[in-house]
Amino acid sequence: MRKKAIVFDIQRASLHDGPGIRTTIFLKGCPLDCLWCHNPESLGKKRQLSFNIEKCTNCGDCAKVCENEVHSFINGKHLINYNACDFSGKCIDACNFNALKIIGSEMSVDELMLEIMSDLDYYATSGGGMTLSGGEPLSQFSFSMELLKQCKEMGIHTCVETSGFVSIKHFKEILGYLDMLLFDYKVTGASAHKKFTGVSNETILKNLDAAYLYGVPIILRCPVIPGINDSEIHFNAIAALDKKYPNLHSIEILPYHTMGNSKRISIGVEETLEHLKTVPPEITANWIELLRSMGCNKAKMG
Amino acid sequence: MQKIDDFSMELNFTEAYRKNINEHIAIREAICHQAQFPAVLSEIQDNDRLAGRTFWGWIGFSPHNAPGGAAYGYFCHEQKIIEAIERGNIPIEQRDGVHEMLHFWKKETSKAKVEAAFTEKMLPVLFRDEIVSLPYNFKPMIAQPIYRMAGVFVNYEKLLRLGIPGLKSEITTYRDNSKASGGDYQLYEGMLMALDVFIDSCHHYEKQAIEKANSCQDPKRAKELLQLANVLKNNAQSKPQSFYEALQLSWLYTLICGSLELGRVDVYLGDFYVNDIDNGIITEEEALSLMHSYWRLINELFRDVDGRVIIGGRGRRNEESADRFALLVLETMRTYGRAILPQTTLRFYEGMNPQLMEKSITLIGDGHTFPLLYNDDVLVPGVAAAHDVPLEDAEQYMPLGCGEIVIDHAGFGTPSGSLNVLKALDVTLRNGVDPISGKQLGLQTGHLKDFKTFDEFFDAFKKQLAFFIEILADHEELEYVESAKQAPYLYLSMLYDDCIARGKAIFDGGIKYLGGSLESFGSVNTADSLTAIKKMVFDQKLISAEQLIAALDNNFVGYEKEHKLLKESPKYGNDDNYADDIMVQLHDFMCNNMRDQRDRTNLDWYLNVLINNKQNTILGRWVGASADGRKAGREMANANTPAGGNDKKGITALLNSLVKPSHKIHAGTVQNMRFGRDFFNNDRPKFEFLLNTYFKKGGAQAMITVINRGDLENALVEPEKHHDLFVRIGGFSSRYIDLPRDVQLEILSRVTY
Repeated sequence: MRKKAIVFDIQRASLHDGPGIRTTIFLKGCPLDCLWCHNPESLGKKRQLSFNIEKCTNCGDCAKVCENEVHSFINGKHLINYNACDFSGKCIDACNFNALKIIGSEMSVDELMLEIMSDLDYYATSGGGMTLSGGEPLSQFSFSMELLKQCKEMGIHTCVETSGFVSIKHFKEILGYLDMLLFDYKVTGASAHKKFTGVSNETILKNLDAAYLYGVPIILRCPVIPGINDSEIHFNAIAALDKKYPNLHSIEILPYHTMGNSKRISIGVEETLEHLKTVPPEITANWIELLRSMGCNKAKMG
Repeated sequence: MQKIDDFSMELNFTEAYRKNINEHIAIREAICHQAQFPAVLSEIQDNDRLAGRTFWGWIGFSPHNAPGGAAYGYFCHEQKIIEAIERGNIPIEQRDGVHEMLHFWKKETSKAKVEAAFTEKMLPVLFRDEIVSLPYNFKPMIAQPIYRMAGVFVNYEKLLRLGIPGLKSEITTYRDNSKASGGDYQLYEGMLMALDVFIDSCHHYEKQAIEKANSCQDPKRAKELLQLANVLKNNAQSKPQSFYEALQLSWLYTLICGSLELGRVDVYLGDFYVNDIDNGIITEEEALSLMHSYWRLINELFRDVDGRVIIGGRGRRNEESADRFALLVLETMRTYGRAILPQTTLRFYEGMNPQLMEKSITLIGDGHTFPLLYNDDVLVPGVAAAHDVPLEDAEQYMPLGCGEIVIDHAGFGTPSGSLNVLKALDVTLRNGVDPISGKQLGLQTGHLKDFKTFDEFFDAFKKQLAFFIEILADHEELEYVESAKQAPYLYLSMLYDDCIARGKAIFDGGIKYLGGSLESFGSVNTADSLTAIKKMVFDQKLISAEQLIAALDNNFVGYEKEHKLLKESPKYGNDDNYADDIMVQLHDFMCNNMRDQRDRTNLDWYLNVLINNKQNTILGRWVGASADGRKAGREMANANTPAGGNDKKGITALLNSLVKPSHKIHAGTVQNMRFGRDFFNNDRPKFEFLLNTYFKKGGAQAMITVINRGDLENALVEPEKHHDLFVRIGGFSSRYIDLPRDVQLEILSRVTY
């Protein structure tokens, strides 16, 4: 089968996306729009032009080759009309300073398998494998399904990192090809969830339930964002999930980090989260303490 | 008042040599040793538990351990003597003598003897000065000779088993038999005289220790000094009976014989240590205190590229005791703290006591750059194949200095030349002409534009390399021939197989194996340059031959487009076969061509080594911009390491690339790799899986460093060279150079060293 998807990164020797040494595949496109997303370049399903202003010398070579007038120089400022870009790649080749790049490249399952297979020996000794991440990988259901199937055929341990926001039907179909699930738990309460991620958590919670009942080992991954979900209610809800699902593999707390901000600027997204700061380790340690006091002993820093 | 520059030792030494210039070379050397020792032995210092420090002086005899840049056989450090003459502090009565002595040695040093014997073929090619002493202003060509007899690993086990008296008695028997049968007994006579010099040196220190004890106010220290005096007295009179005596004897012998390597300490000291500990003769604390003194002496007396202490591995007759001593070595490292020396080397194999590796990894994680890890499961068969020796000899392989592999007290193989591979490519692009001097340095194999295919070009480059390799191999042989004519290297000959039995000196047919090695530099940049030329000039034709030469000549200024294309060409270290295959082809060609030199010469082996030292930087200054995108004068990549952090695909891809070049055709490679600290804390099991898998896949060696402050600071200044730096932030890992500045600074602020 020659299915293709837009891949925005492949991380080999990844240590923190499931057990052992892994290759993590990041697919582009996500139906959620979480305020704090640290991979804003993964949101859009299509390829995207990215511009690093620090590297730009205002030489204007990009404007000369672009047929769509994406690049313009006004008052010594390099302005970009991101929407006009058709990804010809001409400006990327023209730029001698690597200030421009296209995020995402179209890859087939076979191409990915070739790369994944290169580290088979490392998976075998460490109990590692392939992790499919994103974006939301399950949005590209048939591609993900095919990749997972091929991995299983080769005896490769599989993980999917998901928001859980995918049709229940599709989700159930994919469970049989998973050795582990990295399942996000973002915000407590349906309306708050909608407010901060753009979608309701109804399906998500149903899918979590389905996965648990199916028996897939689950690592619950909880991004904690100061002022948004670092509340006692949310931590209580995490502890409650731990009680409800006593066989969860583990619970990882992922503190907010500001690194998404500059990436937003580079792809032409205006709003930044300047009021949010990277969380210092003393505070994150308190979160773990708090969770422990609520009886949630599985919580650890991710 | 300025210090007097006293040259009495050098003058005496010169006098001893001149008076005996026509004597048998063994007797002459022994008499020279008499002039040298104990005169060049320096005083026992306040904290020393072991005796044995030297200041070699500027004229003397030593295979390797002598003042920087002069250490080869009969040496004369002209530069230092001239500096002293110019300071004007030489005593009046010595002045004429010093000038005359300086003049005398111009023709008599071992180096001068080799240079005088250069063949017609060598003369125009070999640079005739010393790289080490003149790192800043020498003009290296493509092939550089190196003068030293490096990698001395004497038979310490025999030394400690027999002691000095036992060794004397064995040699005496040989001498008497030889004399009776009318043989050349003078070699033995010289050895006996040299051993008497060693005994005198023991007594010299014994006396000094007693004197120091007598004038010492601190009773504890006085007792230590008297203990040391007793140890030295016993060393002179009998074979060692205790760990202390064994350690002292091995150290003083190392020093006097002019070696810079310590060898398999766990084998030769292990039994003494275990016996003393198990019988309550010594405490762990006392043993550790002696080891600290040993460590301090090594650090103060040896140079950073030498000092190999080797532990672990196959072929240890007393494995259990040796393991216990190896653990003491690792404990010494831990308690002594991070140090430049010794270059502790852990040899390991599947099934070895796992404590050795576990403790080693902990040390590396704590920021020690040692131990260096050597995989016997790959290297023992590798050495057997490359050096063409039986497995039992291969089990005794010893990496010397920067990593050239020789055989413990049976096979010598000093690296006597270095090859600037990238500069050889530089001239191959230009019909053999060096773009700096305009001289014809290489063969006239044509200009880049003359070649129709990449293979034709690669063949021309191979011809150039072969031309230089032949000359350097001949030079290695010549060094041994001239060394043999001038001196028997008595302290080496008496403890190297099979010199005593054969009645021949080490370099004169006495040693079991006489090999050599060639240090090649810039191989990775060369392979990447070839890859870029193949892809851009021949395959895709995006850059013409003329454009490429112009871009290189102009250091890419005005050729930014070409520079970008060249930089983006595939690079070794990313598990990308396009680039890795060319690296393998280059590696195979160089290694095999060098290995074939044994058919042309009398060397038992002549092998390529790809190692770390400063020459990648020094030689890089003489190489213009290269087709891999490296700018003019910049350093070349070390050893087998991807150039300038070109490994962008993560550690597994790097390791997959590293295991592609064969380990059965060379005499040592160094594989550098760096890891974040997390690998040694929370993720340590994963780190061990990673390392084990690498070694199982055929990884021969690992030189592991932990990413430190300096790495991150350098990455901020030159991001393009640090693609391989990954750091952990929040819940994920990220390439450091891709992070926003504020995040980079925040991470930097958390790194403590």
